[in-house]
Amino acid sequence: MTAMFRAVLYTQWKWSRLIVVLGTLAAFAIPLLSLQGAARADRGAVQAQDLLRSVQSWGSLYPLLATALGLLMAIAAWAPDHRGRHIHALTLPLPRWEYVLLRFGAGFVLLAAPIAAVAIGALLASLTATIPPGLQAYPIALAVRFTFAVFVAYAVFFAVSAGTARTAGIILGVIAAIILVQVVAGIANIDLNVFGAAQTVFVLGPGPLAVFTGRWMLVDV
Amino acid sequence: MTDAIHIERLHYRVGNAFEIKDLDLHVPAGSIYGFLGPNGSGKTTTIRLVLGLLRPLGGRITVLGSPMPERHAKVLARVGYVPEQPHLDVTLTVRELIDFQAAFYPRWDRGRAEELVERFELDGARLFGRLSKGQKAKLMILLALAQCGDLLVLDEPTDGLDPVVRRDILSALVTYVSERGATIFISSHLVHELERVCDWVAVMDDGRLITESPMEKLKHGTKRLVVSGAPAEIGNPPFRMLSRESSNGAGESWVVGDWEPEMTSYIENLGGSVRDVIDLDLEDGFVELLRSFRKVRQ
Repeated sequence: MTAMFRAVLYTQWKWSRLIVVLGTLAAFAIPLLSLQGAARADRGAVQAQDLLRSVQSWGSLYPLLATALGLLMAIAAWAPDHRGRHIHALTLPLPRWEYVLLRFGAGFVLLAAPIAAVAIGALLASLTATIPPGLQAYPIALAVRFTFAVFVAYAVFFAVSAGTARTAGIILGVIAAIILVQVVAGIANIDLNVFGAAQTVFVLGPGPLAVFTGRWMLVDV
Repeated sequence: MTDAIHIERLHYRVGNAFEIKDLDLHVPAGSIYGFLGPNGSGKTTTIRLVLGLLRPLGGRITVLGSPMPERHAKVLARVGYVPEQPHLDVTLTVRELIDFQAAFYPRWDRGRAEELVERFELDGARLFGRLSKGQKAKLMILLALAQCGDLLVLDEPTDGLDPVVRRDILSALVTYVSERGATIFISSHLVHELERVCDWVAVMDDGRLITESPMEKLKHGTKRLVVSGAPAEIGNPPFRMLSRESSNGAGESWVVGDWEPEMTSYIENLGGSVRDVIDLDLEDGFVELLRSFRKVRQ
């Protein structure tokens, strides 16, 4: 099993190394840039507010980066198999769920690089910057949250990407049906908010996508 | 002799367009088994069912003694497969593909892989996508042989290749069988090619099996007879009547299967006489079998 994992990891590295390298650089740079020149001990309360606003605006890049990494790594994990119509994968001598786990695991191992880069970048940024009084740096919490976000994004897109064109069609069909129901309900003056309900279920805590919402603050009160 | 592949009453359907129905196949262990049929006859679908890539709607498939697709992981560890179309990732090099494959097969023979890389003159550093059609076919054969399976399933492995590459591949296959006593199940519509290497043959058309027999029996039992004076109705003959046509006043031309020389007496007892018995090669026999099968189905 170790040899199989190494083989799968190698192929996945070859397919996604550009994504991993660029993602790692971005993940390292964002925390550093978010505090660049902003944190000085002589700042007063008003400047601290400016710092928080700056950190908050940079913070919106973390979920975006997590989503982009999850999406691109998931696509890279399955694209060659899709091109070969999965014949090679299906004729390998192991249960299909094991093959899927190998691919999933290899992708997540590679995503460890940008996750580590966020942790290192955030630690470095908070150690080198002078945080104004009353504010705290949360590099570990930020890195843990980024890890969860990357994991969720990768898992969701991996599952979708693993499917056939038919699966993608079904997902799009469900989305289209929801939109249709909402439009029809609007025309018929029925008090139905499908989008609101979907948002409550998926995005608001403790929904599976809640990790992407809210403020991503390296420095906060 | 046990069967490397045993199929009973296999049923599979794709929409309303194509159906495999009541297919029985028995591939003896240690044989080189040719699976003949025109394009679209169901050869590739049957192979995919055998390998567990598709799930049958009915019937039973046993490969190397294990039911498929239930035990596909165990079975596939002992089966080398070369699909009709190159299926490997175009961005990996020859060496990377060999290493990838080696990791999955416990019986992988590195020595054989290296020997075949040299014999087939493959460049290990070249990307699969940059290989010629012949080189791709050779690499896929190499991967199937180096995993040291007990069964090789080859789906039109030499289709569209030049004669030199075809000969290299067939020679490697024959060497493998003689060294390991493995079974080869090879599908093709290139009749002459199978005639040279196979000891069993099955013919399929429109999802149905037309015949399955030892190659010698099919080759030597399919004849064109020139017959005169036979009645229009001849009951149940001991041979298979594949076609019967009048031949410009010079009697009739019959194409028969399962023919034995002593069967001339059967025709003579009916009041006819056999004026000539002409050997048909496998391709002629194949064409007559298809023609007769399609006529009956119409």
